[in-house]
Amino acid sequence: MLIAVAIFRTVPIYASVGQGSPPQNLPTQNQPAQNPPPDLKSPGFQEFSDRVQKYVQLHKSVEAAVPKLKATNEPELIVAHQKILARKIKAARAHAKGGDIFTSAAKGDFLKAMSSEFQGPQAPHAKATIKQGAPLKRVRMHVNEIYPESLPYTSVPPTMLQKIPKLPDELAYRVVSSDLVLLDVKANLVVDYLPGVIPVEATNGQ
Amino acid sequence: MTLRRQLFLIGIFLVLATGQRADEFKFPLESNSVRFAAVGDMGTGNKPQYETSEQMNEQRKAFPFDFVLTLGDNLYGGHSPGDFEKKFASPYKSLLDAGVKFYAALGNHDHASERFYKPFNMNGANYYSFKKGHVHFFALDSNYMDPKQLDWLQKQLESAGSDEWKICFFHHPLYSSARKHGPATDLRLLLEPLFVKYGVNVVFAGHEHIYERILPQKGIYYFTEGSSGQLRAGGLDRSNITANGFDTDRAFMLVEVADDQMYFEAVSRTGKVVDSGVIQRQQAVTAAKP
Repeated sequence: MLIAVAIFRTVPIYASVGQGSPPQNLPTQNQPAQNPPPDLKSPGFQEFSDRVQKYVQLHKSVEAAVPKLKATNEPELIVAHQKILARKIKAARAHAKGGDIFTSAAKGDFLKAMSSEFQGPQAPHAKATIKQGAPLKRVRMHVNEIYPESLPYTSVPPTMLQKIPKLPDELAYRVVSSDLVLLDVKANLVVDYLPGVIPVEATNGQ
Repeated sequence: MTLRRQLFLIGIFLVLATGQRADEFKFPLESNSVRFAAVGDMGTGNKPQYETSEQMNEQRKAFPFDFVLTLGDNLYGGHSPGDFEKKFASPYKSLLDAGVKFYAALGNHDHASERFYKPFNMNGANYYSFKKGHVHFFALDSNYMDPKQLDWLQKQLESAGSDEWKICFFHHPLYSSARKHGPATDLRLLLEPLFVKYGVNVVFAGHEHIYERILPQKGIYYFTEGSSGQLRAGGLDRSNITANGFDTDRAFMLVEVADDQMYFEAVSRTGKVVDSGVIQRQQAVTAAKP
């Protein structure tokens, strides 16, 4: 091996396009989607956001009664906090069922948004992101139950997150199989889920 | 450029001219430089992770790095207290005891609860930034790049100094030639315009269980290091964007940022240097539209 070390110098950053070409071309952001997503203020999304706010109120009231979790060297405290929070929220929502938050009106708007995402110009990239993020094979979610500890989290296409209502810090969307899951991230609890809204071809890349 | 740096570069060119061996690459080890290691996809708790961390200890004798970036999948599988011990605290005990700090990014196998684990230095946030000398680091959560995180990143990059190195690290690679997953192109669609606009210099990612250095894309250097515990042997399908790669054993990276140069090595579990080089900091001339 004669070459000792490579010295890589670049031209000014904005003048360089790089020496290689990306493996896939990206769509331009200005390209119109075939199916425009619903307005984020549409009645279905609004109803969803209202239900989310009510859930967050409940979460906060429960969390206020639990010792505050700060950064710690003791994972026991982290695990215990999560378990207590989950147990108390589960108890407070003992009668929770699917559709409580993803109401039927909300479902319609989410379906339109998913259609826009997975049939629009960036659909191949959204599907690729899900596949890239190690999609899960069929896993059944249960409302008000812990997200299975050993399961990874499939990446949520960031372009999809721009088409659906923003969530407060307590919650996050997750893609599990072809379902869109609403997860309480602090309690690791499945709050609700919308079955079958993610195209199967996007999730078969295990 | 300091006289010392000039002499060093002249030395490198002399090495090239005289045809000496690759393993004679040397870090400058300047007194005010920023030195760190990077590991990804390491949290298995298995023997290869322990052996790789032992090699990190060994390397630290000659290259005293102060901190480690983790590129996600810090803990695979369960997240019980025993898992934190077996998959992190125990394998990196020597480094932790020596005062080496870890700065974690979350991968798709990580729980949000890891944010509260003090040794990960996330302070309860799943994305954050910190500075070391003239280097500004941005840890992102690529599992969940929502509009809020994008806004945060834009503001952070906007307010970062133009004379600082800007280094982003997160789990999913925007460019990759690995066979398993490939690049996160949807994520690239949103992140790359910001990286270009605000002059991000270098990006580190994991997720693919190989090491790969990508040729500069739009002037930005991309590294994937996802083989510090896991390994997908033969998982790299070298492409026209691959500058170098390694997929036959576990590896980690060593990096020194000294003034306008970034020196790097990728080191295997057995201590073999599988890639090395020097990057000159790109000069952001003007802000370009994304």
